[in-house]
Amino acid sequence: MKKLFTIITIFVLGGTLYGQTYNTFEPSKTQFMLRGYGHTGFEYMDSGDETESTFLGSAFAPIFLYKHSDRLMFEAELEFVLEGDELETGLEYADVMYVLNKNMTVRAGKFLLPFGTFMERLHPAWINRLPNAPLGYGHDGIAPSSGIGVELRGAFDLGGPKLNYSVYSTNGPRIKDGSEEPEEAGILEFENYEDTNLAKAFGGRIGLLPFSDSSTEIGFSAYSTSGTGEQDSDFEDIGAFLYALDFSLVKQIPGLGGIVDAKAQYNSSNVDTATFIEMHEDGDEEEYSFDNQSNSFYGQVSYRPTMSGSNFVKNLEFVARYSDFNAPEGAEWEEKSKQYAFGLNYWLSWRSVVKLSYQTTETEGGHDGDGITNTDGLFLHWAIGF
Amino acid sequence: MKTVYKLSIALGLMAVFGLTVVACSSTKGNYTDVPNDEVAETEFKLEKSGAQLWGETCNRCHIAPSPSDYNDTDWETISLHMRIRANLTEHESKKIEEFLKSAN
Repeated sequence: MKKLFTIITIFVLGGTLYGQTYNTFEPSKTQFMLRGYGHTGFEYMDSGDETESTFLGSAFAPIFLYKHSDRLMFEAELEFVLEGDELETGLEYADVMYVLNKNMTVRAGKFLLPFGTFMERLHPAWINRLPNAPLGYGHDGIAPSSGIGVELRGAFDLGGPKLNYSVYSTNGPRIKDGSEEPEEAGILEFENYEDTNLAKAFGGRIGLLPFSDSSTEIGFSAYSTSGTGEQDSDFEDIGAFLYALDFSLVKQIPGLGGIVDAKAQYNSSNVDTATFIEMHEDGDEEEYSFDNQSNSFYGQVSYRPTMSGSNFVKNLEFVARYSDFNAPEGAEWEEKSKQYAFGLNYWLSWRSVVKLSYQTTETEGGHDGDGITNTDGLFLHWAIGF
Repeated sequence: MKTVYKLSIALGLMAVFGLTVVACSSTKGNYTDVPNDEVAETEFKLEKSGAQLWGETCNRCHIAPSPSDYNDTDWETISLHMRIRANLTEHESKKIEEFLKSAN
């Protein structure tokens, strides 16, 4: 028994000693990281006839990063959101990236589209200074957010100023023909990932940072396709051309004692005129068409008094945003909306923020009817990145 | 719309071709006749520190991260990811990575 105990002890201690001697604990060449963000909160909405208040179920968006080498990487983001009584899941993006040289990287898969900067860079809850997106983004929005395809992107140092670019091709959008949702006939649906025609979408963005301190960036994006309908359908040759202009200024201004962050983006969507069918209650059908042009704009300014002597004041942020959205006249989804949003944020750390916001929205038309609807909202959100 | 579409494809292809040519061309040879100390002096004058670039670049989208929140290996992964996602130059991303690894 003593011999057996001695042998086991020698093996255990010997193994530990060997491990401590020869294991250098060097990091592996490949690396896997789990990052992401989540948010939760409370909302109160008052639209005159109707009021509602609710605590929001948490949204959780894990991001998986796999660095295969100094040039090759894979990224993917999942999205889990409690909507109503259900858990909605989504794949925000999943793409592989390879650095070809110092000025060019290729990406392939499902990636966030650089159409302006809001959806690609600023929409995550821990980055967005307000609890929600401006008008014109998200469901029924006119700005494409992601696509499946291939992209070349990169940046050039122009000896002070910098230039960045992106060109890509994706499966492209699908036009809603009204057969399933007549009230949405003519809307471009970007969240369709099965290509139903031979036409591909082509797009790109050029961004210029004219000053050496990188404080200012102006960008132009374009997105075009020759066909948005299903192959062999009446809508097969309905093309679309979209463009966006974006602006960003982030600068510490000593005279104001803090950092000013200004962002703006204008989106324009021009879809070829098509003929749709309206079904009347008596069963009669009527053909109609409209000039399918939409646009949206948002401008946002925020200020953080980072040079204050008080740690509490340093962590505060004041935000104001204006956004509008104009959908085509004559469409079932014709709409003119304006929104003013004001917010007060408190940053618990560089990636965790509590946002208190008041928003007032005036909507003329839209899904809710022909009249004018005024909706006031109070939001208290807590977001964290990790 | 057809014309606009064709124009955008043509411009896109020209942009891809132009960018490929510029991106793949080496400018190394242009500096061979210049004395090394002169190059070093010029670069020294233009050089920004990694800390300066960290403050200027990260804040364009989000508040600049604390270096101590991740270890060196994590920063290598994050730097490569941000270089591609935020369209940073190679120089910017390397200098910021060096700073983050030295200050964590």
